[in-house]
Amino acid sequence: MRNIYIIFALFAIILLGNSNKLSAQSGQELVDICGMIAGDATYLKDFPIKLDAAKTGEEPPTARYSVVLSKNTEYLFSICNSKDYPGEAIFHLYDNNRLITTNYIIATGKYYPKVSFKCSSTGVYHIFITFKEGEQGLAVTLLSFVKRL
Amino acid sequence: MNKRLIYILLPLLIFAACRSDKQKDVDFSKEFEVPDSVIYDGELEISEQAMDDIVQNISSPVEIAALIKSIGVPFSKDYLATTDFVDDYNTSFKKAIGLGIFGADLGYQNMYNKTGGVIDYISAIKTLADGIRVGQFFDFTTLKRLVTNNQNLDSLMYISVQNFNQMDRYLRENNRSNLSSLIVTGVWIESIYLLGEVIKEAPNAELSEKIGEQKIILSNLMLLLKNYERDPSIKKLIDDLSEIQEIYRDVTITYERGEPESIEQDGMLIIIQNDKQYIEISNETLFKIIDKTAKVRNNIIQL
Repeated sequence: MRNIYIIFALFAIILLGNSNKLSAQSGQELVDICGMIAGDATYLKDFPIKLDAAKTGEEPPTARYSVVLSKNTEYLFSICNSKDYPGEAIFHLYDNNRLITTNYIIATGKYYPKVSFKCSSTGVYHIFITFKEGEQGLAVTLLSFVKRL
Repeated sequence: MNKRLIYILLPLLIFAACRSDKQKDVDFSKEFEVPDSVIYDGELEISEQAMDDIVQNISSPVEIAALIKSIGVPFSKDYLATTDFVDDYNTSFKKAIGLGIFGADLGYQNMYNKTGGVIDYISAIKTLADGIRVGQFFDFTTLKRLVTNNQNLDSLMYISVQNFNQMDRYLRENNRSNLSSLIVTGVWIESIYLLGEVIKEAPNAELSEKIGEQKIILSNLMLLLKNYERDPSIKKLIDDLSEIQEIYRDVTITYERGEPESIEQDGMLIIIQNDKQYIEISNETLFKIIDKTAKVRNNIIQL
């Protein structure tokens, strides 16, 4: 009888362990989900971000990317967070030295998974991504082309 | 009873333990040997991090093709680079820059949903990608199926753009940014070539301005390439592009700052930038840029 309990325990541990792995979201799955969220917009680039939790007393880790965006063009930034991590990605878009937008408005507490950007000046823009409250997180920010303006 | 239960559970246990983890990230660098000739081991002028800051989305075949289509110019296969000489692309330099050129042409065809000649382009891209050991990221089978069945053409665009991004990321992460930079340059050269050919047949202010604003893009591209100027092929390319950059000195770009506006609509945040950017380019300068770019491009594709 004791053998049966051991086998049951082993079976449960291994099967559960494996099922957890199988349900874990990969970066590619997040890109595909984000692509669906972006709808009819045409995929251009994806920025996968995996950051550790902020250490006590330190600034939250930040990922940075730079992209060229063109004038008279509408772009869509879609932000998709992995369900396997607590962090929600906060995205900031800067031009050379100025914050243009973010998907998280602290004053209202509103979080936007999609941000449309109607660009009127061709140049290099900078994307900074952190996770809300410095939590550990995995996310993808997808840049898509919507239309010419 | 106990024995029967063991007989049932044991195979299940072994099956569960041996199941492959589909989510496991595959490290292709361990699966494919990369010859030394395609790894850049020269000294970089700027850090890899700084280079990452420059490189993203420098040239996008999707956006240029969308612009050309948006002004109502019909598709022309005469603009496309010939794939006839792909087998003669015998150096990593030519393979990488050729990948970019054919990638831009693929984007142009996809934008117009023209699948007639796409097989030749995806075959050429696969050949060149295999040649620099990134063919594993180009999903030739799926793309070929989509083209052959003439179905789900949105997926054709999505998969091909994503495959190019995967190649780019892999090259940059594996000390082969020189090749990634060449792919980007190939896309840029072919995009300007396509714009130039359309302008010659149907002059258009928006397209001319697009050529003019490439002054900004080209300066970023040059920064990127100058990291590898010790490579004689890349040095020659830099020299060619420097001539184009010299012509661009006559293009003037001015700015007027505006305050961005934000609107919330259907749960989405919409940002309107409100900056103004003025691009001044004379017809003479425009055609000098178009002609010089065409020469550089035709030399690469052996016309």
